[in-house]
Amino acid sequence: MSEPLLQVEGLTAGYGGALAVDRLSLSVAAGEAVALLGANGAGKSTLLKAILGLVPATGGRVRLEGAEIGALAPERRVRLGLGYVPEGRRVFPGMSVRDNLEVASWLDRAGRAQDLERVFALFPALAGKAEERAWRLSGGQQQMLAVGRALMGRPRVLLLDEPSLGLSPKLAGEVFAAVCAIAATGTAVLVAEQSAARALSAAGRVVLLRLGRAVHDGPVDTLPAEALRDAFLGG
Amino acid sequence: MITLQLLVNGLALGAAYALVALGFVLVLNATAAVNFAQGDLVMAGGLLGVALAPHLPGYLPLPGLLLLPVVLVLMAGLGLLLAAAAYLPLRRRPPVAVFISTIAAGIILQNGASVLFGPEPRAAPPLLGGGTLDLGGLVVAEQSLAIIAVAALLIAGQQWLFGRTQLGRRLRATAQDPEMARACGVPVTAMILITFALGTAFAGAAGLLLANRYFVTPTAGGDLILKAYIAVTIGGWGSVPGAVAGALLIALFEVGVSSVLSYPVALGLLYATLLVILVARPQGLFGEAARRRA
Repeated sequence: MSEPLLQVEGLTAGYGGALAVDRLSLSVAAGEAVALLGANGAGKSTLLKAILGLVPATGGRVRLEGAEIGALAPERRVRLGLGYVPEGRRVFPGMSVRDNLEVASWLDRAGRAQDLERVFALFPALAGKAEERAWRLSGGQQQMLAVGRALMGRPRVLLLDEPSLGLSPKLAGEVFAAVCAIAATGTAVLVAEQSAARALSAAGRVVLLRLGRAVHDGPVDTLPAEALRDAFLGG
Repeated sequence: MITLQLLVNGLALGAAYALVALGFVLVLNATAAVNFAQGDLVMAGGLLGVALAPHLPGYLPLPGLLLLPVVLVLMAGLGLLLAAAAYLPLRRRPPVAVFISTIAAGIILQNGASVLFGPEPRAAPPLLGGGTLDLGGLVVAEQSLAIIAVAALLIAGQQWLFGRTQLGRRLRATAQDPEMARACGVPVTAMILITFALGTAFAGAAGLLLANRYFVTPTAGGDLILKAYIAVTIGGWGSVPGAVAGALLIALFEVGVSSVLSYPVALGLLYATLLVILVARPQGLFGEAARRRA
């Protein structure tokens, strides 16, 4: 196992007085895809947002390639190598597909053009719709756009929140195939997902959350079925 | 010929209103807050032109035109101050806090202008010249043409900036979803500051352009913020092209009705029309575009 790109140590975060992530630790290495599983309210989305800095952490550390980034603003963390695909896609609806992608790039025109080609190669469905406004795209295409947008920042670590939500099984499969392809390029991927079967098929390791705490962290094939059941159904 | 004459007058007035409304809607989109000081910023731009005019060297061929970049830069600076004082400290408070702070900023500008300039109407120098041109029987004030040309240039510049540049993409992303823009690495606070600077610079340009033909007083901003508000409501709340189109429609309506009836009747009918639009088509004439913030 190579040195982790992302290290989360004892992270605590929440909203107001309510704790959503409780002293949680995990790590993701380069080229590794880690599934973050848990029922609704387990803290998956909050954890991803706290790693990015969109939800302030009240304790713990976040390290990217060994450097502490927990005190930085979200935009600084993104510039340093975090990429984020939010739940519900949240593409910029009034902007074209091309503009949605280019806005997330920090390269010059030539570099942006190169990365656009890479995204269009990964998601051919977007290639013919470059000038289309994002709100006109189907849900699956919007999800591809959201993933492509995150890739335009050339992230070392990609955080995905419920990428299959609201998608047909076929489209969800395409999105997860892309996630596997992204991990294969050396990017560390942390994917929060409610569809356990889909996430486990794409990930090498799984972190199981319950009430904001990690109750299991290990290779997918070591995940006890009862732990998974308890995390989703309680018990 | 009279109709054509009115059309030119209406377009000139509408072009200046469009700059006011454009600045208003840019800030509205970027911050989700109504900048009630926008009208007073127009007044400030006009009086800035009045104050700077005596310091221009008279031997230059077009001294008035030289004022424009100076006013744009100084007003952009004022926009940064406004954002730093009246928006950024309150951005996480309920929207009403920013409404009140911008109203307060407007009152401060009004009173400051009253102290410095007194209540009398003042006129800024014309951009090109104070004369008229005879275009085949159509007599057009040079300043009217200058207003149309300058406003068209500034609006085209804004469209180019927002549509064709990476900075423009970041400004639009900030306007559409600030949190997601941050998650894409966009420095949202800097984008908001730039938007305030742009919006205030547009207000200043409008003030300079209007202050020659229509004069300027410290209380002139009240009427202009209402016009901007109406233009944005008619054009579709949040729609940039809608705001420009709304401003042109208002001015053409105002000039047309004033010529047949009177200015007070035109204003009354304008507000009545606004009420009808709010009831019959609350999303404005370009409502769909507004919903998606084109």
